[in-house]
Amino acid sequence: MKRNLVIALLATLLVASLSAFAMAEQVTLRYFMWDPEFQQMEAELIRGFEAENPNIKVEMTALDPTNFWPRLAAMAAAGELPDVFSMSTGYIDTWARDGLLLNIQHLVDRDLDLDNYFYNVFAEDRFPNKETSDMYAIPYAWVGSVLFYNQDMFDAAGLEYPNDDWTWDDFQKAALALTIQSNPNRAPEQYGFWWYGRYSHVEPWVYANGGRILNENKTRIAIDDKAKEALQFLADLTNVHGVSMAHRDMAGMRQQDLFPLQQAAMWVDGSWMVDHVRTVAGDSFRWGIANVPKGPSLEPGEERSYYWPDSVGIAATTKHEDEAWAFIQYLIGANRPVETYMPGKVPIYRDIAYSEEWLQKDQQPGNMELILALGDTPVRTTFNMGWSEWRGYASTGGAGMNGELDAVTNGQQTVEEAIEKITRDGNAVLERYYPEP
Amino acid sequence: MRYGKLAPWLFITPTVLGLVFFRIGPIIAAFLASFTSWNVFSPPQWIGASNYVELFNSGTFWMILRNTLVFSLIYVLGVMVCGLFLAILVNNRIRAITFFRGLYYLPVITSTVAIGVVWSWILSPRFGVLPNVLADLGVHNLPSFLGDSRYALLTLVVVYIWKMSGYHMILFLAGLQNIPEEYYEAAKIDGATRWQSLRHITLPLLSSTTFFIGIIALIQSLQSFDITMAMTEGGPNYASATLSFFTYINAFVHFRMGYASAMSFVLLVIVGIITFINFYARKYWVETVD
Amino acid sequence: MKTYGKIALYILLIFVGSLTVFPFLWMVATSFKTMGEVFRIPPSFTSSTLFTERMWDNYRVVLYEHSFLRYVLNSVIVAGSAALGQLFTCSLGGFAFARMKFRGKNIVFGTLLATMMIPVEVTIIPEYLMMLNLGWYNTYFPLIVPSMLVGSFGTFLFRGFFENIPSSIEEAAFIDGANPWQMFYKVFFPNAKPVSASLIIIAFMNNWNDLLRPVIYLESNRLYTATMGLMQFKGAYGAQWHLLLAASVVSVIPLIIVYISLQKYFVSGMLTSGSKG
Repeated sequence: MKRNLVIALLATLLVASLSAFAMAEQVTLRYFMWDPEFQQMEAELIRGFEAENPNIKVEMTALDPTNFWPRLAAMAAAGELPDVFSMSTGYIDTWARDGLLLNIQHLVDRDLDLDNYFYNVFAEDRFPNKETSDMYAIPYAWVGSVLFYNQDMFDAAGLEYPNDDWTWDDFQKAALALTIQSNPNRAPEQYGFWWYGRYSHVEPWVYANGGRILNENKTRIAIDDKAKEALQFLADLTNVHGVSMAHRDMAGMRQQDLFPLQQAAMWVDGSWMVDHVRTVAGDSFRWGIANVPKGPSLEPGEERSYYWPDSVGIAATTKHEDEAWAFIQYLIGANRPVETYMPGKVPIYRDIAYSEEWLQKDQQPGNMELILALGDTPVRTTFNMGWSEWRGYASTGGAGMNGELDAVTNGQQTVEEAIEKITRDGNAVLERYYPEP
Repeated sequence: MRYGKLAPWLFITPTVLGLVFFRIGPIIAAFLASFTSWNVFSPPQWIGASNYVELFNSGTFWMILRNTLVFSLIYVLGVMVCGLFLAILVNNRIRAITFFRGLYYLPVITSTVAIGVVWSWILSPRFGVLPNVLADLGVHNLPSFLGDSRYALLTLVVVYIWKMSGYHMILFLAGLQNIPEEYYEAAKIDGATRWQSLRHITLPLLSSTTFFIGIIALIQSLQSFDITMAMTEGGPNYASATLSFFTYINAFVHFRMGYASAMSFVLLVIVGIITFINFYARKYWVETVD
Repeated sequence: MKTYGKIALYILLIFVGSLTVFPFLWMVATSFKTMGEVFRIPPSFTSSTLFTERMWDNYRVVLYEHSFLRYVLNSVIVAGSAALGQLFTCSLGGFAFARMKFRGKNIVFGTLLATMMIPVEVTIIPEYLMMLNLGWYNTYFPLIVPSMLVGSFGTFLFRGFFENIPSSIEEAAFIDGANPWQMFYKVFFPNAKPVSASLIIIAFMNNWNDLLRPVIYLESNRLYTATMGLMQFKGAYGAQWHLLLAASVVSVIPLIIVYISLQKYFVSGMLTSGSKG
């Protein structure tokens, strides 16, 4: 009788603990991402993950960046951040500083074989030091800056396509030859090049000349002589040589349409624009990509490329660290289908990036491996706390450094005047975030 | 006092409840926030009047405040004149008038995205319809209406007026319904012209509607945001930014909620004074029936 | 002479109409285009899909692959109940402010107007924290209840209208022994048809267009409103404009229906002086 009771008790305990265990096993992760265009593809990705991990369910919410950030900020204010969410390079330092992101360094060290990844770009997710500190988010993809060029226009002008030996002089000569203006009183029908104050138009040239916009610690604006030389080179292209459009003359158009609509023969921007050019240009002309030409003042050992990651982070408040990390490993891992990457965005996992399906040799441009090579060069960026404010980005693209450089292309001020204002106003912003330089 | 003491409060109970719970609470919180440094995702830190000091020392803020006042002045006048004109135009009982009333309301509900793109195409220096038509007529080197800091704000006001005239048409139309028809008939018998009836019957009897629309248009002009976002993003270099746009940018792009709040309360004081003066001046120009 | 006047009026009506209708037509025209055609230069009004079997492709994607009809229905529920609620509360409030005398009237009314001047961006986070405490997250309550209870615009609108009704009407009803509710419901409100129509049209549209609150408060996809549904066609690097505009056309239809069905109350000379209309 007594023994029966003990057995019954034990059995009850066992069942209770087992069911408690099973309950704890079933986990629902909340995942917020910022590209609704890829919502359906990511939903498939999640189904794949859930099939491999039957105890984890992922609930995804997709909002575009203008709505994503207010929403995420509100959730953070309430202490209810989703377990996993997209993280921007422009905000990561602030969010890491404020303790909202989980330090994932121990997980990275434990589970990842770095050789499988383009790990140079991991640096952007470290805080506070970009070389030595711990990671607070991890890239699933990255993008680099490349020179787009219109092969038909080069052929028509009898020019050779851009190559890695190109100097800025060669570039300028080509841009002049590619600018067609039949009536000197009217705007040119075709421009050789297109740039304005946008970060992905300007920084590549500065770095290709070995220049710096920020100081060593990335806490103050300190535009050095090599950067100044790059800015002057760009300004002269517009104001002296007339090979690029003044910013005010492109009002009412989208900047990314000038190249695909054959208004400009060359253009430097992020590699994700490959997708946009394919969509808008279709088969209307032949085009390719090349590296940004190296500047005259670049010294050996100074080579830095401008590329940056798209990352995902885990909330510091998550109750499901292991499950969230398992999901992230899936998002950055070998099993992620290549179609879930926008063309021109490089998967962080090397084997996927080097696959036929990503290189897409049958589509323009035929040399996508050029982007991949960037991922093994040393990286430099301007991202820091307050970046979108002093740089002028997205919905404030008309302001900050962007706006001052636009005014240069409009002929309203000189490069020196612009640099003075960028430094003064930018440092006023940065002093709020970094009291110590 | 024929309605008694209780009845008024019963009538405004829902309004007062809503005000107290859903408006005043958050506004007090925002007011307190204006004395803090608060990036939303982390707890606010009390910094006293620093936000206000920074505002008054910021050249950008003064420029945007000036933009806002210029914008509001032109918008309010423009939208009232155009709205009244449309309302009078469609306050007719002729065939197909319903169709035209619908037509004039369309800009109000057309998506801002579509409006932004279409107007950009009309005005864009390189491909715009307007510069190209004028070029064919021999007018060259037109300024860039959206890209030139001298014209961007004015161009935006015109687009806003164009979009919102239909909205104020509805309000004026409702006001026009209250003018008894026999007044016009009497005027006709006396041999008054159309202009004279407008001047001496419509406008005076519409004055309380006009007053209302003036205040509403003023408040609306302070909330101008979506077309700015779609067409100029406040550029070039904040030349076409108004305070509502700047508030949004500071609140949800730069995440400076305290600074954004301080800005809204400065604006509240300014607009509050204008509105108060308006109410005070009301008795000098608004005619009432009694 | 009369016919000439009429012809001149129609010419004027058509001229003004052509100024207002063009962007709308462009929106409709673009909704039939393919992604590549949207930003062609020079812009073309027509598209390759017109009158082919691919003509309705964008609409098919929007309605079937993105359950946009569901979002539109959600918006009708949200905007409709908020607008009807406002009709009730604003007409009551407007009546009290216009015809009754009571202590604190100007303070309450001043507050009502002043709160309208604070941008929602700076109050939304405190509001959000409050709604979380009420347990209203991921429901329609935050979208409907505040808007329903307090409408500054509508109260102001009704106040202006009721102020202008001659007191002779009021006197007569008082002599007949009307109580305050009867005065409002039987005497004043029936006269307010044009104002009520404009309030519903405008309140419906304002609630329909609200984006910040749905974005902040709604998490389940099945609760999304039409404006939020539109955002599904925006991406991190631009938008699927052809789908976005097809969805915009769909989401404008209820607004047009509300407007057209209510504009019949704008009939010239409804109210005659001195007596009920």
